[in-house]
This record gives sequence, C-alpha cells and structure tokens, in this order.
Amino acid sequence: MTKPEEPNIKDFESALSELESLVKTLEDGTLSLEQSLELFERGVQLSRYCHTRLERAERRIEILSEQGDVTPAPASLTDPVGDADERSR
Amino acid sequence: MNEATPLPFDEPPSSRPTRRVFTVAELTADIRTKLESSYPEIWVEGEVSNARIWKTGHLYFTLKDASAQLNGVMFRSAVRLLRFKPTNGQHVVARGRLSVYEPKGEYQIVCEHLEPQGLGALQLAFEQLRERLSHEGLFDEKRKRPLPALPRKIGVVTSLDGAALRDVLNILGRRYPNAHIVIGPARVQGIGAADEIVRGLKLVGRVPEIDVIILTRGGGSIEDLWAFNEEPVARAIVAAPVPVVSAVGHETDYTISDFVSDLRAPTPSAAAELVVERKDEIASRIQRSEDTLRALLRAGLQRRRTTVHLLERRPGLAGWPARLASRGRYAAELTHRLNDATTSMVGHRLREMHTLRLRLEAVDLGRRLGRIRGRLIAARERLAHSVREARGRREARLRTAAGRLEALSPLAVLARGYAVCWNAERTMVVRSASVVQPGESVTVTLHEGELDCEVKSTK
Repeated sequence: MTKPEEPNIKDFESALSELESLVKTLEDGTLSLEQSLELFERGVQLSRYCHTRLERAERRIEILSEQGDVTPAPASLTDPVGDADERSR
Repeated sequence: MNEATPLPFDEPPSSRPTRRVFTVAELTADIRTKLESSYPEIWVEGEVSNARIWKTGHLYFTLKDASAQLNGVMFRSAVRLLRFKPTNGQHVVARGRLSVYEPKGEYQIVCEHLEPQGLGALQLAFEQLRERLSHEGLFDEKRKRPLPALPRKIGVVTSLDGAALRDVLNILGRRYPNAHIVIGPARVQGIGAADEIVRGLKLVGRVPEIDVIILTRGGGSIEDLWAFNEEPVARAIVAAPVPVVSAVGHETDYTISDFVSDLRAPTPSAAAELVVERKDEIASRIQRSEDTLRALLRAGLQRRRTTVHLLERRPGLAGWPARLASRGRYAAELTHRLNDATTSMVGHRLREMHTLRLRLEAVDLGRRLGRIRGRLIAARERLAHSVREARGRREARLRTAAGRLEALSPLAVLARGYAVCWNAERTMVVRSASVVQPGESVTVTLHEGELDCEVKSTK
C-alpha cells in the first residue's frame, strides 16, 4: 500500500473537498490575516497533492487469476478499438 | 368375478380362462407397472394445494382443479433446481411421470419440473427474490455507499471476451488515461456463472487499493442475464468491501444485482463514466480552487493595506467601522425618504387637483371657466415645479452624503506602497518594532511579491 506522501491528508477525496470548503471559508472574509494565510498555505498544499494524485497513477490493465495473482492484460484488450468511441455518449 | 371380465388394463388376453387371485401387493405392483409405462412423461396443469417441503427436502403437494385432484411429489434433487417456491393457490404446469406409492395404494405424479402458469418461472423467481431481499433491507438507499472521487484502482468483474469489458476499458481510457484497472474474469451466463461472478467479486475486492468495482455484462435475454438475479451474487455484492456499480444488460433490463448494488448504470459504458470523472475536469476544478484561493488572499491583503493606510491618516479615529456603517445607513435612509416624500407629494397634489376639478364642475362653467382653467394650469405647473424642486434638493443631499461616504471608504484609498511585515516564521504580523531584534529576519509582503529582509536596528 503506497500511502500519500502528505501525512495530514487522508485521501484525494477529502483533499478535494477540504480544498473546496477552504475556498468558501476564505470567501466569507471574516478571518484574521494570520488565519487566512494559514488557510492559503494549506490550500496550496492540498491543490498540489490533488494534482500529484491525478498524475501519479499510470495506465495499467491487469487480470486476476483464480488464485488472486495479477498479470498484465493482453494487448488485444488494452488497445482500444476506435468503433466504441463516442458510441455510448 | 367371471371369466369374461377383462381387467381394466390392456393385459394380453389370458389363454386359460381360470380364476386368478392377486395379492394386494401383486395387484398394486401390476398397476404400478402399467401406470408407469403408460405415463412415462406427462404434463399436467392444476392448482397447487397442501404444498409442504419435508425435512428430507422433498416437496409434497396436491394438484387440483374444479373436479379432481392428483397427489404429487418432487424429490429434493429436482426441488433444488426450482427457481421459485411453489405456494398454495398457484397455478402450475407439472412435468413428470405417474407412479404408485404402494404402501398406501395411492397413485401420484413424480414431478421433475414445475413451472408457474401466467408469470414465467424466471419472472416469478425474480419477483420472489426481489421481495425477499427488499424485505431484508438490502435495497435501502441508506445502505448505498458513495463512489470515491478518484479511485486508486478500479475493479471490473465481467467476461474477458464480452463487449462490455471493451466498452468499459475504452471509456475509462478516454476519461482517465492513467486509470489502473484490475479485471476479475467471470463467465457471465450459463451454469456456474453465478459462482464465477461471486468468486470474481471476492477476488477483486481483496486487491489492495481497489476503491470501486464495476460488475457488468452486455445485453441478452432474461435467461442470459439470469446469473445476475441469483441470490449468491446479490449477497456477494452486499459483502463487497467497496462500492459496486452494476451495469447488466441494456438500459431497460433490471436485475437483482442492479437493485442491490451501490449504483446502477444503464450500460457498461455508463458505468465507466460514473466511476471516474473526466481527468481534465477534475484537474481544472482543482486549479479553479487554487486560483480563487490566491485571488482571495490577494484581495484580503489589499483590504488590510487600505485599512492600515486609512487608520494612519486619521489618527484618533476610533470606531471608524461603526461610523462608516452608520454613514451607509444614513445614505440608504435618505434615498428611502426621498422616494417616500416624492411619492406622497405627488399623491397629495393629485388629490388637490381632483378636488379642484370637482369644485370646477360644481360651479357655473360658462362664467368661471377661464379663470379656473388659468388656476388649474398654474396649479399644475406649481405641482410639477415643486416635485422637481423637492427631488432636486434631495438628490443633491444624497450626492453630498454619498460623496462623504466615498471619501471614507477604505476602498477609495488603495495602497500606495504600504506593506505587511512578517516575523521570520510567518506566524505573526510585525506591528511594533519592539517585537523584533536587530539581526532577525523578517518578510515583507508587498503589493506584488515579497522581500526577505534583515533588521538592522529597531527604534
């Protein structure tokens, strides 16, 4: 299990929602300068984390065996066929 | 009994016309043989009554219609294959052979298969399971788990050679190119499919970092989709450690899996779209938040600079925010009063004019018309004039008040070269020279950018 590098961020989801609620808090504008700056720095940290998370995973398609072992899927599955494009839209 | 009387069955004619005495067992065995060979496989329809399953697992029941009844038995092995539970009053078609239960001298149908009339067997089984699981609360909305915003790994349980998998992979690849997908292969139709789906769900659920599972299959007949209506599959979905999105068949097909899953998607492609937002959309959502954050901070700093500026310019101006607020209220009040006054004045003059007109009509028109018309015109002019004048006066006062308000507003005095000075740890704004020592470093936030400074001396 690779845990996110930020110890005080639970996961992507909570980071994203914290970032968004933080913007709301700052919008209210009732905070002291120190508090706003703290929030701002936290916000930047969260935003970086989210961006990193978004980019971190690399495209991988794997198949589980009956024993629960993982093997890469054959190319026939991983190469998308064009005809399915837009079909479901 | 006399020699010419044949038995009621097609026994070959006896060559020796002698009296034949059967034992009960012999006769019964004989009847049994004849019945069984005459009715090796029959279909019979009727209404179920007295249905009961014994501890042995065999099902006993009576088939009846308006004028006759027939005992029936269905052995455990056949009962197990039934997809619905026969209940009293149900109209069914039974397939089986006739036989005789010798100890009781009763004939009965040994039933291989039962199917309900009216509703198809599968349909009925579906309804029954749905009702039961619904009763258990497995379809409750509050049981349903929300999908993760960005799944670390996405599990897919489906057949490796189905179109559903291809659709899912395609859509996922497009929306979130770096998706990590783990496929739990399972046959999705035919005997044993349910077991494979259950196993697939379990295996995929155990993979670390899987945050959501798509259970899917393309369209097909109700028989093709049947595995998704089986109880073990429903239970496995409920037991899955992460949310399950079910997309079985076409948009119009509903299976038990759909009801029991955390989210139903109409098609495999739709399931893929539901489990992950478009990557570029998430990215821009994050960026927007960050931009807003920066803009807010900048505005906040600006506001404070202005405040500092204002306070410095007017030393001894205590309680200015309250005064500012009261100015604002005053201006609003003036506007309000101006409107009120104008309205009531116009109303008043109109009433006067009305009275005048009434009086005018009451007097001798011919003699007084000229004079009265003159007065009327003058009155109208006075009216217009005074309305204009009153409005002008009040607008002028409002402008004055607004001007004063403007002059007081911190926004009108934007910073020109004012700055915020921080201590080295950035935990405090330096408001007094006494809190820093020579040699200490401070940060100075300017209108644009920052300065890292070292204090030479304090005064």
